[in-house]
Formats: sequence, C-alpha cells, structure tokens
Amino acid sequence: MSEERREPEGTRSPAFRRFVGDTVGALAFPLIAIVISFLIGAVIMLATGNNPLTAFGALFRGAFGDPLAIGRTLLTATPLIFTGLAVAVAFRAGLFNIGGEGQFFIGAITAAWLGVSLGSLGPLGMALALLGCALTGFLWGAIPGFLKAYFGAHEVITTIMLNFVATYLATYLALNPLRSEGLVPGTATIDLGARIPFIGLGLGRANYGLLLALVAAVVVYLLLWRTRRGFEIRAVGLSPGAANYAGMRIGLNTVLALAIGGSLAALGGGEEVLGVYGKMSIPFVYNIGFNGIGVALLGRNHPVGVVLGAILFGGLASGAQEMQFSTDVPLQLADVLLAVILLLVTATKLVELIVGKRARALAGTRLEGGL
Amino acid sequence: MEDFFGSFGTLLASTIRNATPLIFAALGGMFSERSGVVNIALEGLMLISAFAGVVGASLSGSALVGLATGLAAGLLFALIHALMCVTFEADQIISGTAINLLALGGTGFLMVEIFGSGGTSPRVSGFKEVPIPLLSDIPVIGTALFNQSLLVYLMYLLIPITYLAVFRTPFGLRLRATGEVPEAVDTAGVSVWRMRYYGVALSGLLAACGGVYLSMGILSAFTENMTGGRGFIALAALIFGRWNPIGAAAAALLFGFALAVTFQVPQEVIPLEFIQMLPYILTIVVLVGFGGRAIAPAAIGKPYRKE
Repeated sequence: MSEERREPEGTRSPAFRRFVGDTVGALAFPLIAIVISFLIGAVIMLATGNNPLTAFGALFRGAFGDPLAIGRTLLTATPLIFTGLAVAVAFRAGLFNIGGEGQFFIGAITAAWLGVSLGSLGPLGMALALLGCALTGFLWGAIPGFLKAYFGAHEVITTIMLNFVATYLATYLALNPLRSEGLVPGTATIDLGARIPFIGLGLGRANYGLLLALVAAVVVYLLLWRTRRGFEIRAVGLSPGAANYAGMRIGLNTVLALAIGGSLAALGGGEEVLGVYGKMSIPFVYNIGFNGIGVALLGRNHPVGVVLGAILFGGLASGAQEMQFSTDVPLQLADVLLAVILLLVTATKLVELIVGKRARALAGTRLEGGL
Repeated sequence: MEDFFGSFGTLLASTIRNATPLIFAALGGMFSERSGVVNIALEGLMLISAFAGVVGASLSGSALVGLATGLAAGLLFALIHALMCVTFEADQIISGTAINLLALGGTGFLMVEIFGSGGTSPRVSGFKEVPIPLLSDIPVIGTALFNQSLLVYLMYLLIPITYLAVFRTPFGLRLRATGEVPEAVDTAGVSVWRMRYYGVALSGLLAACGGVYLSMGILSAFTENMTGGRGFIALAALIFGRWNPIGAAAAALLFGFALAVTFQVPQEVIPLEFIQMLPYILTIVVLVGFGGRAIAPAAIGKPYRKE
C-alpha cells in the first residue's frame, strides 16, 4: 500500500484500482464482522468471569497451535466446504438454500448404505458410494427447485421443511432397514478398505475428503465462471427478467442450481460417513448444513471464500474444545460468535459507517423475494 | 359414540395447544412483514423467549415474571433484527437466519452458564389451565377450548384485535402502506424506519408469547431447540393465510391439527419418523398449493433509503 501511495494520482490504472477496491471490499465485510464478533465474545467472557485473552489464546492454540490442532481444524472444515458450496451455488442463482442440513443427512445415509453394501469392493466401493451421494443429493436438492420453479413455493421455507423430512427419513432408514446389531443405534460399520484414507503428515484424523472438497470448490468455480451453464445460473441470479429476455430458462436453472447444491451438501455427509465415522449412528452430527450458510456468506459465495470461511469455522469449532478444556468458557460460545459474524456480514450500512461510502458499491449479494 | 367424542375432545384440545404458539408467531410475523421486513427470525425469537421465560420463572418463582422476561428477550432480539435490516440494510433473510442461529447457540451457551448443563432445564412454575366458568361446561368442546392456560385466552383475543389494528386503525393503514409503497408513506411525513421498527418489535413481542407458551404453557421447562421449526411453520401459515390475521390463524390451526395428530397415531401402524414428518410435509403441500398465488407486500425485503 505504501508503494502505491507514492505514485501520482493519475498514473494508477483503473483496472488496478478496481482490483484493490474489490479486494478491500471483499475482505472488509467479513473482517469487520469477525472483529466485532470477537469483541462481543470478549464482553461475554468478561461478563461470565473469564479472561478473554486466556480464552482466545486457548481458542487459537486449539485451532492452529500444532499439526494435530491444524488437522482437527481441517477435519472440521472439510464437510463445511461442501455445505458452504451448496449454499454458494444456489445463491449465485438468487436462491437461498437452507436445505444443506437435510441434503447432508441424505448424503450420509446414502454413503452408509452403499458403503456397507459395496464395502468388499474397497476403494471402488468408496468411489461408488460417493457417486451415489452426489446422485441422491442432486435429486433431493432438485425437489425445492422444482417446487419453486413450477409452483412458486418459496425455497427458504421448502428447504427448511425438507430438512426435517430428510433427518427423519435418514433416522428411520438408519434405525430400521439399515440397522445393525450393536450397542450404538445406527447402521453397520463400513469396511476399512472402503473408507476415505487419512492424510497423515501428523495431521491426525484429517482425511483425503479435504482434497475432494478442494476439488469440488475448483469444479464449482469452473462451472460458474467458465461454462455457459454457469453463466446462465449467474444471469438468472443477477437479473431474472433480463435472463428470461435473453432466452434463458429460469425454471431449469433454478432446479439445477439447487440440485447441484444438494449434490455438494450430500457429498459432505458422505465424507463424514466414509472418512470420519465409518457408519451413520443416531443421533448423527448436526448443524453442519446450517453452518454452511455462514461459511458461504462469510466467503461471499465465492469458492475461494467458502474454503477460507470453512477453515475459519473449523478453527473456531476445534479451538472451542480447547477453550472449554483449559478455561471455564463453554464451547457453545463458538456458535454464538459464528451467529454474530453471520448477523453482521451483510450489514451494508454498518460497514459503510466504518470504511466510508465506498462500501455501498461493494455491498454483498442481496436476496429479495416475497416471504 | 361416547368414545368418539372423548377422543375428538382430546384431539381438539391438543390442536389448540399446538396451534397457539403458531398463531402467536404468525400474528407477529404479520406485523413485521406488513411493514416490509421479512421475518424468518420468528423461530429464533420464539426459542430465545422460551428460554428467557424459563430463566425468569426459575429465578423469581413466578410464571408472570417469566412471561415478562420472555417478552423482554423477544423484543430485544427483534430490535437486533430491526437494527440490522432497517438501519444497517443487511439482507433480511440472512439477518433472520443469523438470529435463529444466535438463539440456538445463545440458549445452548446460557443453558451451560445458568443451569450448569445443556439439554433440559430444571422445571419451573408454568401457566396452569384456568377453566372459564360456564363456557368450559359445554359438552365435548368446552374443556378443549375453555379449559386452557391464560396465554391461550390471550391468543383468542389477539386474533380480532390484530385484525382491527391492521385493517381499521390509522396505525394499521400506515403499517400496510409502509410495506407496499414506502415512498408514499415517506412523502406523507411518516417515518418508514419508525413504522418498520414498530412492526418488527411487535413481531418480537408476539413471537415471545408463543415461545413462553411452549416452555411454560405446554411444558414447564426449556429444552434445547424446543421450537423445532415451529417459527417456520408459522411463517408458512402467514403466507397461506395471505398476510391476514384471521387467515393466518386458520392456517395455523390446520398445522396445529397436524402436529396434534402426530401424537395420536399409533406407532405400530406407521413408523414414528413418518408421523413426525407430517406437519413439515403438510407445510410444503400447502405452500405448493397456495403459496404461488399469495401476493406478498410489494416492498418486502427491500431496505428503505432516503435519497
């Protein structure tokens, strides 16, 4: 920045200025949200008789302090990349996909079913199980898209309702047709040969699902910004009227955006079953789909941002365990911090107050609709 | 026949109990959405008030104090939503989602801080059934409708009051105009921001009644995530009822019936999980059947900025 300041005003190229402006804008909203959220966290800690410095120190140590901590953070971040991408793709089409939670459960039960049935095939079984997740997630995700495109049912409500349906459905399947003998209620355990292998490198239980998540992020980027289909999805999101006038099919793109999102979130559920737990036990892990919303918004619905957002969320979650262990602060505080970040991350005027009027032009994506 | 009327009475009573929090929340959502602010935070507003009510009742030993603390919490969180949506121009759906997550995380955090552990809080004194003389003696429906807690009677009163407030008072006219044509309201010298703050604040107070009824009218304790999607069902009832208090209440009764049935169907016939899905599937069916035709207030979801 200091280099830049020495140049006379006129010589800076507009492209360069726009790039700096865009980057500052892209980072301004998340950074301000994170800082304010941590300040509120500090106030809560003080109010409940804890030293914020000690607690945040423990939080950071637990998140990034050593390779094991980093491994834990990456392990937590992996499914969040998937559920975050699920929200981001739909958002680009102007749709708010709150159905990540249910889609995640659909993926998890599919992975448990196929993983157990095809376990003897080893890595091929794993690949088929993941493919199965993507497929069931696609179909499940297409439902709200279809209901929105052809019946006008708002996707925010239908995806939330489908979350309940999906979790009950997965619970039923895991406890009845797919139930195994055993103390812990849930499906049978998948053969070790058909699991996603650990990365190693001292990162503990972090598995190659992370690699898959990063590949998914690249694929989403290429899909949205390098294909005709992606262009249509974004066009429908930015201006449905203009997209329609240009001959693009709004209904088809609506269904596709939500279905692709469903695939991604389901892959997250599949990764948890095939890479982390080896089975679907009931109760299964909750809130990964919901936290994907925060991840996506923090990452401004861009694949790179989603990956960074997931690592932040993962770090907060794994750091919170260390914080609870070494101080008196309950780990639920991490949920509060995440919610506050989410609350502030689209607050245009707030950022405008802090960084000035430029923020108006850099405001995040906005949704509108008749809810 | 005796048996049929007996179980009909039970089902009706259960329908009323299940519909009450939905009706409160739907009426609340109506004030907010009529003013032009989407309120998917109803879920979180109910949850935080359900918790605050139990905390208040537990500290004071009085259910009425619990109601007061519940109302205060609902109002506070609604004002946060208003601050974000109206003043800071945040996306209303995202702010609502954040409030919901904040309520979930916040109640989880405070459960540990206040009661020492998560899960379910200690029992507190709740609102007991108060039979209305004479009316509660009507055969079959008397006990179901008129042997309920005070909050249910409050709900009965609020349906017509809300209707009159929205459609027959200058306040209601301004509120509706703010949600349809904010520019005109502004030109007429009424503050759009103030009307929206009123709308969202009222939604917080009403959702709080629903939340307090859940934790202190139906149960006498708080359980984590006890709202279980009721805020969203209330929102669907509001849309189904075309943003009209009477329509919304009728729709909420339908959903209340679906919730009541889930407790009545024998598990041997249909697996429990499928019975539990019923209210949510019904919500989708209703939205699919009627949602598309419902027309939302024109300016909903858009922040208002004076230029």
